[in-house]
Amino acid sequence: MPAVTIDGIEVNVEPEATILDAAKKAGIWIPTLCYSPAVPNLAACRLCMVELDFGDGGQQLVTACNYPVRRDLIVSVSSERAVSARRGVMKLLLARSPESEELKELAQQMGVEGTPYPKVTESQRNCILCGLCVSVCEEVIGCSAIGYAGRGAERVVAAPFRLASEDCIACGACAAICPVGTIQVRIHEGTGEAEISPFKSRAKLLICEECGKRMVTEPVGKQVLDRVKIDWEEFRKRARLCPECRRKRAAAALGLAAAKSM
Amino acid sequence: MIQSPAELEDLREKVRKRRSTFDRVVRVCIGTGCAARGSRRLYELFCEAAEISGRSGHEPKWKIEAKCVGCHGLCERGPIVVVQPGEILYQGVEEPDVEEIFRETVIGGRVVEHLLYEDPATGKKAQTAEEIPFYKVQKRIVLAENGNVDPTDIEDYLAVGGYAALARVITTMDPEEIIEEVDRAGLRGRGGGGFPTARKWRSCREAEGSPKYLICNGDEGDPGAFMDRSIMEGNPHSVLEGMTIGAYAIGISQGYIYVRNEYPLAVRHLKTAIEQAEEIGLLGDNILGSSFSFDIRINRGGGAFVCGESTALMASLEGRIGEPRAKYVHTVESGLNGKPTNLNNVETWANIPAIINRGGEWFASIGTEKSRGTKVFSLVGKVVNTGLVEVPMGMTLRQIVYEIGGGTKDGKAFKAVQTGGPSGGCISAAHLDACVDFDELTRLGSMMGSGGMIVMDEDTCMVNVARYFLGFLKQESCGKCTPCREGISQMLYILERITRGEGELEDIDTLEELADLIGETALCALGKTAVNPVLSTIRYFRKEYEEHIIERRCPAKECRGLFLYEINPEVCNGCGICRKNCPVEAISGERRKPHLIDQEKCTKCGVCFDKCPFAAIVKV
Ligand SMILES: Cc1cc2nc3c(=O)[nH]c(=O)nc-3n(C[C@H](O)[C@H](O)[C@H](O)COP(=O)(O)O)c2cc1C
Ligand code: SF4
Ligand code: SF4
Ligand code: FES
Repeated sequence: MPAVTIDGIEVNVEPEATILDAAKKAGIWIPTLCYSPAVPNLAACRLCMVELDFGDGGQQLVTACNYPVRRDLIVSVSSERAVSARRGVMKLLLARSPESEELKELAQQMGVEGTPYPKVTESQRNCILCGLCVSVCEEVIGCSAIGYAGRGAERVVAAPFRLASEDCIACGACAAICPVGTIQVRIHEGTGEAEISPFKSRAKLLICEECGKRMVTEPVGKQVLDRVKIDWEEFRKRARLCPECRRKRAAAALGLAAAKSM
Repeated sequence: MIQSPAELEDLREKVRKRRSTFDRVVRVCIGTGCAARGSRRLYELFCEAAEISGRSGHEPKWKIEAKCVGCHGLCERGPIVVVQPGEILYQGVEEPDVEEIFRETVIGGRVVEHLLYEDPATGKKAQTAEEIPFYKVQKRIVLAENGNVDPTDIEDYLAVGGYAALARVITTMDPEEIIEEVDRAGLRGRGGGGFPTARKWRSCREAEGSPKYLICNGDEGDPGAFMDRSIMEGNPHSVLEGMTIGAYAIGISQGYIYVRNEYPLAVRHLKTAIEQAEEIGLLGDNILGSSFSFDIRINRGGGAFVCGESTALMASLEGRIGEPRAKYVHTVESGLNGKPTNLNNVETWANIPAIINRGGEWFASIGTEKSRGTKVFSLVGKVVNTGLVEVPMGMTLRQIVYEIGGGTKDGKAFKAVQTGGPSGGCISAAHLDACVDFDELTRLGSMMGSGGMIVMDEDTCMVNVARYFLGFLKQESCGKCTPCREGISQMLYILERITRGEGELEDIDTLEELADLIGETALCALGKTAVNPVLSTIRYFRKEYEEHIIERRCPAKECRGLFLYEINPEVCNGCGICRKNCPVEAISGERRKPHLIDQEKCTKCGVCFDKCPFAAIVKV
């Protein structure tokens, strides 16, 4: 197992682990925004810069979240060059999304007090374009309901043609993974629908027959069916109740059975 | 189907014999520049003339052939027509000239003086390319046969020795020997990075995994660049031969050529070339009767500048959006479809046959210690001769600008030369004697890039130049990573303020700070190098930035609002045209008396400057 020395602390990691993995093992914090174990390898936000020391006098800044450890490495998280690169990137992000509470909090943890730069790019509800939502939708959920529209500073995350996407199952994975709360799941009481905002897609929610509590959306249920190979009727029969009511019923049935057998 | 190298030589002999029966050959350039000026029609007219003379009752005196050839480089003087024997070069040929050239030169063997190239400096006429200063100091390896061979006819390529290198490697060299030969040549990638080609090939050869892929990068997204285009259009077989040799050396059976979407002629010529090579067994299964097979497919580019970047290109080939990814694991290990992939630029591939034919040592004897061979540049901007030039590495900028380019236009003073495409840098007059090679250009804060070279004169504002290139790069940034997307926007915002006359003294420091940040943290080379235009202009023309910021003055008088329009009373004859055209009525004056601009009212729109028939309005 290759050894990684991070700010003087040595840890061993499996080959192909990342510097970020090694840092976690060494108990050293590196700020990240676009990293998630569910969709590694985006390396888009560039917040996790660390300095690699080749030992021959050469150094290089690399992103910790996707740099593979293939041999022994000497890494500095706290070197001036690494710190100032990370802070610089954070300042650019703050200029883009100055309202984001999540960003401000992370900045504070990094020792960044505000940004010297003006706001020159538009962000859709503080979106920092980390790319996590697009990747999770495509790679984990398998829907590819959202993608990028526009290039460069004009880039936004959107459904095709910015219309409600047919492919969206309103599972909410993107909302869950978004680090700055751009994406939200809205419940429409009147229609019994879930909406993934700002992508405009909506889907009917299944409701517990007993207590009326909302469960998953219909298309999520359908997608699950495909995987577990039971048909919709069967599923509806089994999934009429929310987990709680199902438990209660089961317990009641048990109680009944117990009473009978006595 | 050719089954062996010996059969290839037989075919070559036959072709040559057939060719030698022509007494007269007229070569018409159909490169992009010449074609835009109607050279295809010229070709048809020459064909007609040749046919008519062949039919004209009595036994024709000469056997005449007219053919289309690729770009000669001297695009500005096109259309170019060359008549053999004598290699007489005619420039600026128009339809009515065809008859004269045919009668005088083709039939009569006399020279048509008025169509010859005339040196604008000396007034001396040149009969052949060699006599034209533009070509004199060039050294043509890659472009050697451009302008000689018909790109749509494989026999032409065979006649000049084509595919001999391929035959040689397949029969007499093992893969390692080929890589060693390329290593001896010291060839470095011509696509911009200058990575040693042999090292790339070796890594790919040694990488685990199969199949392996080979790609030719013909995306050429730099605005105004047409080096690769001219090679693909003018001599496509040289690229195919280079790729096939590389595939044999690395152990690859599938190749792709990724061609910029805006190059339909290149696609056509490459397609024809592939078909013809397949037809006679120089491509496809069991090449030249050996056990080696290699296929080449053509793909149209994704249309964005960043698609030329290696990982973005591969993503695009896979049918995904053309966006870069981190290269901590190299593409020679995991590239297209996650398989080992060897990507080289068009010009890199086109150098390979010559290296095999003439030896790595010969190639290495050209150029400088760390940059061997030649490089093709597209020389444009404020120089007398613009066009495609191929020079040995190590030639000075001065030689290129003055000996080949003929110096700046209209007697204006030289100011800077911008090399390396949009993310290259501007080099000032003080460094004109620098040698052009990979490392020297980088040292000067610019880069080789793919070989763009733009000459700028005293009328060019360097702050505006930086703003212009950064504006291009902002458009072309894919937007994936923070520093490039946000940082370039920040820098551009500052540059726009400076060119509007709203700059602040700290701006230069902030620009440098941002440049440093982007250079350190951007994901791909687009972002990392995007700062070059700004850093290099600050480095060599800091004073100009300061004049904009402190004095609110644009010394080159390009930035609107940072200079004044005045009327020169000596020249003004009071015609009143400016007064009538001024949208804000800032100009007053009586008829036939010198007029005056009220600077308080003037919005510096420049209408008067454009309208004055006597050039009495000056920028101060
Ligand atoms: C933004 C960007 C655009 C590029 N465009 C091209 C291009 O159009 N053609 C090309 O050959 N290389 C281009 N490159 C360089 C390629 O990434 C790659 O280095 C090159 O094709 C490798 O071939 P070589 O080793 O023969 O130079 C580009 C690089 C970047 C960062
Ligand atoms: S919406 Fe959220 S997850 Fe998606 S790119 Fe923007 S910040 Fe990242
Ligand atoms: S540097 Fe620019 S072009 Fe390259 S990945 Fe980042 S945003 Fe895209
Ligand atoms: S967390 Fe590493 S680049 Fe975003």
